[in-house]
Amino acid sequence: MKKTNIILLVVIAVAIGVIVTMVGDFSTYETFATAREKEGKEFHVIGKLDTLQAMHYDPIKDANLFSFYVHDKTGESHKVVFYGAKPTDFEKAESIVLTGKMEGNEFHCNKILMKCPSKYKDDQVAVSNKQI
Amino acid sequence: MKFVGEHLLPGQLGHFFAILAFVASMVATVAYYNVVKGKEPLARESWKRLARWSFILQSAAVVGVFTCLYVILYNHYFEYKYAWRNTSRDLPIQYLLSSLWSDQEGSFLLWSIWNSILGIFLIRTSKNWEAPVMTIFSLAQFIMASMLLGIFILGYKVGSNPFMLLREAPENQLAPIFQTPDYMQHIHDGNGLNVTLQNYWMVIHPPVLFLGFASMIIPFAFAFAGLWVKDYTGWVKPVQPWALFAIMMLGTGIMMGAAWAYESLNFGGYWAWDPVENASLVPWLTMVAGVHTLLAYKATGHSLKSTFFFFFISYVLILYSSFLTKSGVLGDTSVHSFTDMGMTAQLLISMLVFTIPAIGLLIIRRKDIPSVKKEENSYSREFWLFVGSLILLIAAIQITFTTSIPVWNKVLSGTGLKSLFNMNDIAPPSDSIFHYNKIQIWIAIVVGILTAIVQFMRYKDTPRGEITKKLAVPTVVSLLLTGLVAWKGTITYDTYGAGFLTAIYLMLFASIYAIVGNFFYIFSGLKGKLKNAGASVAHIGFGMVLLGVLISSAKMEVISLDRMKMLGDGIFTKESKQNPRENIMLPKDVPVQMGDYHVTYTGDSVAQGDPKTYYVVQYEKKDRQTGKALERFTLYPDAFVNKKENALSSNPASRHYLTKDIFTYVSAAPNRDEAAKSDTTPYVTHEMKQGDSVFFSKGFIVLKGLNTKPQNRNYVPQNGDLAVGAELEVYTQTDDHFKLQPIYFIRDSSYQYSVEDTLAPLNLNVRFSKIMPAENKIELKIKEATSFNDYIVMKALIFPYINVLWLGILVTIFGTGMSIYQKVRRR
Repeated sequence: MKKTNIILLVVIAVAIGVIVTMVGDFSTYETFATAREKEGKEFHVIGKLDTLQAMHYDPIKDANLFSFYVHDKTGESHKVVFYGAKPTDFEKAESIVLTGKMEGNEFHCNKILMKCPSKYKDDQVAVSNKQI
Repeated sequence: MKFVGEHLLPGQLGHFFAILAFVASMVATVAYYNVVKGKEPLARESWKRLARWSFILQSAAVVGVFTCLYVILYNHYFEYKYAWRNTSRDLPIQYLLSSLWSDQEGSFLLWSIWNSILGIFLIRTSKNWEAPVMTIFSLAQFIMASMLLGIFILGYKVGSNPFMLLREAPENQLAPIFQTPDYMQHIHDGNGLNVTLQNYWMVIHPPVLFLGFASMIIPFAFAFAGLWVKDYTGWVKPVQPWALFAIMMLGTGIMMGAAWAYESLNFGGYWAWDPVENASLVPWLTMVAGVHTLLAYKATGHSLKSTFFFFFISYVLILYSSFLTKSGVLGDTSVHSFTDMGMTAQLLISMLVFTIPAIGLLIIRRKDIPSVKKEENSYSREFWLFVGSLILLIAAIQITFTTSIPVWNKVLSGTGLKSLFNMNDIAPPSDSIFHYNKIQIWIAIVVGILTAIVQFMRYKDTPRGEITKKLAVPTVVSLLLTGLVAWKGTITYDTYGAGFLTAIYLMLFASIYAIVGNFFYIFSGLKGKLKNAGASVAHIGFGMVLLGVLISSAKMEVISLDRMKMLGDGIFTKESKQNPRENIMLPKDVPVQMGDYHVTYTGDSVAQGDPKTYYVVQYEKKDRQTGKALERFTLYPDAFVNKKENALSSNPASRHYLTKDIFTYVSAAPNRDEAAKSDTTPYVTHEMKQGDSVFFSKGFIVLKGLNTKPQNRNYVPQNGDLAVGAELEVYTQTDDHFKLQPIYFIRDSSYQYSVEDTLAPLNLNVRFSKIMPAENKIELKIKEATSFNDYIVMKALIFPYINVLWLGILVTIFGTGMSIYQKVRRR
């Protein structure tokens, strides 16, 4: 067998290996209910801000605590806790993608991706408290 | 209906130019095709003349479109949707260009202009390659022009017209305002440019990036031309400087975007593995691979097929990146993609038009492409160039695979596989940055080491002892330097465990090795001949980029940690790791300790003609023992404050040192107007005689006497007024002493008025509301407003040695430039 072919086989094997390990990282979109079943694992939840309930951010008390309520796709509303500053234009967001996990009855998220109604570039704003 | 106050001429002219560009580029495509396929020399000559003129005509038309659009934006013709959507009257003039290319149509236009310029350049320089290469170019321009048409063909909307009037937009057609002829009277201002784009990088970054995009078509066009006219080797020589030019421009464009993100966005960094960033990085990786296989081919005849493949796939990936960002498919996953404009199908077709013929022809004619029967020697340079290119390809595959998750979802649901296997939509990894880092770090390690070693190998075969002999010194030096950095630098990034930390140390060695190895190569391999050292210089720069990325991210430190609250939570709980508490509240004028600094927020300021608010933050570093100030500086992180919605869009400010950056931005600030409005403290009534005193929280007020000729800024005496001022003295706990004089007056002998006096520093408001002559008393109403707490919430990070990254980028660009110059001169 030619060396080039061996190399190509090795590369293909590595590529497949890499992809298989990657798929393990992939997350899924869940609702609050399904996220609760697998409590402690991280998921993405798509929802809308529940405007009937108050959101809470008081930097004087704690600059890293922002809580609000979100309806998920099934309409279930839950309290969401984000450990960071309140994102700009949060009220205007049309829908929100939360990354985090259920803890008891609260959803603790470490990343918020907002989609705003107007049709612009850079409409979406992502906020995360993860380190780069 | 006839509408009043519209300026229709520039729009009609612009739309005409757009159609002209469409038609002219179509003619150019057909004409160039006929030059390639024609047999009669005379006919070919006349086709060629037609082709050239129509390409030049389409270039002029594209410039015409650009000019018309600029005129519209410059004159604030808000009857055009583009102007209304992306500009406003208060937009500083230098950002008009940013708003021009902030929207989809503008970015196509920019791309199209670069294509035209490069095309005209190639007409002049590419000699007998002109016809086939320019066929590809004209086709690209034809597709680009179709994106700006905005007309319906067989019921499909083709392209999007940047000159659409506001009243013609589908969402506005039924709006009542556009049913009146003088609607322009009511449209005074546009929506404005997104504030994150109001940054000088946004003036320069898109043109450079799109020049990179546009220049990627040149290697594609030459490779395709080679296959098409069955001259499989002749295209290699003219393409080499262009391929280098493409990686130089695209790389510069990408890194300018990183610089913009670092300076204007506040995710705290320059790279976040965002899908839009990834999509432009991947073609760069494959083109770099292609440049290296091309070198191998030129020296030995190996790897020609892979060169074809890499050049094709790079441009296809450019088109794929444009599809990802512009079709709206990234919707849920990216921060800065466009939303769907109904052009998904068109973008997909434009990608396939180039992909299918290129890959198809490569497969059909693979047997005809010359190759060397003898296989590469393991001690040869060409063998390792090939291996390195494959490693880059793996990097590209991994990044593309994860970036394309939304596409996989579409494909799975489109083919019905999703319902078949009862699958859910796949979401991106929840820790996406680590997901990329943990794979790419290994690739960086291998690529770094290859960069150091492979230059020392010879083509064909290297004498066995030579490599070890030549590599011995650089290897020892690199190991020593790595040891030194590891010892002095104390990298202890253990967030992801010991395995990842090991990888970090390996990458530290690999990047130092790349720098040192190439540095030595300039002397031992090239004998110090600097004019041939372009590649080595570029490789040194690349090693510096790796090193800068590694150190600035692994040793990045958040200094704005809110330690007080952390203790409250329990610092050792599971929660405290998840909740890094990276924002800190700074009350006005109260110093707060952050890392080595005492930081004080001292207020904000605005300047006339500048829409931003600047927050004044003072840093002071004190000597631990003596308490003497070692260093003092002020940073002004700023923000666009939208008073109405209390929205804050902030820009970071950094203190640059040679060895580190202190990077700060404001993440929240109180809304002052609202706080003042919501103050509902009631006035308290006091009846007082002369000499009486009243206490308030910070001191007391004494009524000294009454004044029948009172003076106050807010009181203008009139004839017949009966006015009395109450002379008040205010004494505070801190022995400050103020005077107040509220006024009570009767005008026209029946109406009672009172003029309030206030003492801002103490939040004191005093009204003189009544005179009671019988008791010889007066009535005062006193309000002590709850003091307004001014504060900001801030985040501060330290990026050590980020200058190594920026310098590395400059060195890489410079080295690539040297190589291009050398290649062009030698021709």
